[in-house]
Amino acid sequence: MDGWIRWGAPAAAIAVAFPAYAYQYSTVGAAQQQAFPGARFEEIQPQRVWKALVGGRVTGYFFVDHVIGKHLYIDYSVALGADGRVRRVEILTYRESYGFEVANAGWLAQFTGKSSGSALAVGQDIRNISGATLSSRHVTEGVKRILAYYATRLR
Amino acid sequence: MRRKQRAASGQGGESGSIFASRARPVYFNVLARKRYRGLTCALTAASFLALAESGALAGEATLQGRSAAQPSYEQLLEKLDRMEARMRALESELHRKGEADANHGSKARAAATRGKAANGTAEASTAAGAPESQQSATVEPPPPGKRTPGEVSRLYEAPGFLGARETTLLEAPRPADTGLFGAAPSPVPGLVIGAYGEFAFGALQNPAANGQWQTGFDTTRLVLTPSYLFNDNIIFNSEIEWEHGGIATDADDKLTGEINIEQAWVDFRITPYFNIRAPGIDLVPIDWLNLYHEPTRYYSVLRPELNRGLIPSTWRAPAASIWGQLIEGVNYQFQVNSALEDFGGGPITDARTPLPFPIGYNPGITGIAAVRAARAPIGSFRQLSNYLGYIFRLSYAPTFLPGFDGGTSVYFTPSTTPRGAYSQLNGAPLGRSSLTILETDFRYHVPDTGLEFRGEFADILIGNPANLRVNNDLDPFNNVGKSLWGASGEVAYHLPLSPFFGPILGSNWEAVPFYRYTYQNFQTGGFAGTDLNFPVGFGRTQFHVAGIAVFPTPELVLKLNYLRAIDAAPGGINSNSVLGGLGFYF
Repeated sequence: MDGWIRWGAPAAAIAVAFPAYAYQYSTVGAAQQQAFPGARFEEIQPQRVWKALVGGRVTGYFFVDHVIGKHLYIDYSVALGADGRVRRVEILTYRESYGFEVANAGWLAQFTGKSSGSALAVGQDIRNISGATLSSRHVTEGVKRILAYYATRLR
Repeated sequence: MRRKQRAASGQGGESGSIFASRARPVYFNVLARKRYRGLTCALTAASFLALAESGALAGEATLQGRSAAQPSYEQLLEKLDRMEARMRALESELHRKGEADANHGSKARAAATRGKAANGTAEASTAAGAPESQQSATVEPPPPGKRTPGEVSRLYEAPGFLGARETTLLEAPRPADTGLFGAAPSPVPGLVIGAYGEFAFGALQNPAANGQWQTGFDTTRLVLTPSYLFNDNIIFNSEIEWEHGGIATDADDKLTGEINIEQAWVDFRITPYFNIRAPGIDLVPIDWLNLYHEPTRYYSVLRPELNRGLIPSTWRAPAASIWGQLIEGVNYQFQVNSALEDFGGGPITDARTPLPFPIGYNPGITGIAAVRAARAPIGSFRQLSNYLGYIFRLSYAPTFLPGFDGGTSVYFTPSTTPRGAYSQLNGAPLGRSSLTILETDFRYHVPDTGLEFRGEFADILIGNPANLRVNNDLDPFNNVGKSLWGASGEVAYHLPLSPFFGPILGSNWEAVPFYRYTYQNFQTGGFAGTDLNFPVGFGRTQFHVAGIAVFPTPELVLKLNYLRAIDAAPGGINSNSVLGGLGFYF
């Protein structure tokens, strides 16, 4: 009985303290606020693209997208500044059991400052993650696609 | 609520939809005037809520909506915003169906009125704590008469950058698209099947033929990887493997391979810091290459030498684990599994012991193959002891050293001795012998260059060598001491070929020349047992491997390498080879 309490209590405490789904690192609203603190958001495309406004002036764009990891989807968000450069990439939800190193802030920080002219290729300007090769490649391609979308549609 | 609408519009025969084109302009024109503002707001709120019902049904399966906990105000607001967005999407559809110019101005006013009324409803129903960004998430309505219907509809329906149907995908996040080998839709929602495999061919020296060079081909493996998403928290993962082309059905058949279950486990995803993997067949987390063993993860044709005996990749066992993230960049896994057993395979008695003295049996731990034969069986309750193994692994990718990732593992079992173990000299029973493995590995890809370094070290510590079967089997040459250890270092360079040749066959090729050196010593000092002991030196081996791996895409690799094996035995190890290979993983 003692053993059960000793091992079960911390596990239960952890499970209770984190009622959100395991792999949901952030919500859309929280990611929006992290990328553009204090801004208000106008939807340009329902649930996918927002414009961020501070005092009536456009400070950037916020995209929500998903890519395949190995088999399951990774939901992520990309915040672009008004100059079209990436401000912040955030992993919202990671569902698979392996490869969640793509959610590390250090790896995602590589995308800050990239523009639609950047190479954005794993192995060139984006580091590979050896245990998450597919996820890192797909997330990189997703950010590249969003930058291309911005360059052709929104600018 | 719909009946109220119908009554107000004065058209009893209309359908309940507030988008009935004929009814709307009259309704809102009249009621938009000042003295009907209150009535307008009330009726609009009513119609909004009615639409919200159907909108909610359609958009119900969202990440937020499925939360079992009490929804917060933020979640309610997000839900309202989504309903509003859906209203606008449907309205834009109507616009595209070609409204008359004369009605367009009143529609614009209607959008403004409805938008303001909806906002009023939202604000009224929430406390002051609602975040600023959610309260005014409306698109500014175009001033009446200033824009054409075409322009208005374009504002509301910016094209999806993944295709039009992608706009609804986030509301139903099931991987239904490419579940079958990454190419076609899966027949069962949530079921995904992938595959990997490899071939090897070339010329090898055969040590059993005095080092004669012989050519050949091996269908090394083909693995199917079905996985299934029970729900967002429970995932099933498996690998079914056909090795060496299949199995024989009778002694005359030429097939000598195996079919086995390499992995089959269910993951309960609880939090990023704590997850449970239920008992199943799982990989032992003892080495990076054991965990990530697909052919596109290593550059040589055969698996790295250290991973063929010392850490017998692929080492899988009946196991259960807890795993997760400790801090950012550091992950842990603690696993309990069926222990390694000092029994090298073969028939067993019904009492689940090796065949009794003096028939004899093969050892599981030897000075030639380390623990390759000692992996616990996974079927038919054939494990020969009640002992369990305990493994703890830390994987780390420190943020202060980008491009570096590594891991360290510790394995311990109280004993590897199977029940009924005995010495072949006199049938005396063999007692317990614990086994500990210390292992560490790293990979470092120097940032902004193509240079990559890999290294690995593993040490197996035997608790009581006197109780190992290999030291008691009358063979004086294959004995084992207190430890078996090995280390390897590898350097590789990633060379993209597209700057020279451009995309070939539609993709950007990458060549990776590499060199690896491995040293292993399976016969260190500390021997004890009933055998005579004449280690001749084949337990001490060195391997040099040099070659090139070419990746047409990251999922496909073509390999060619030369392996030179050296040992300290007088006749030499006679195991050089020149091999080509092909591997894929999708």
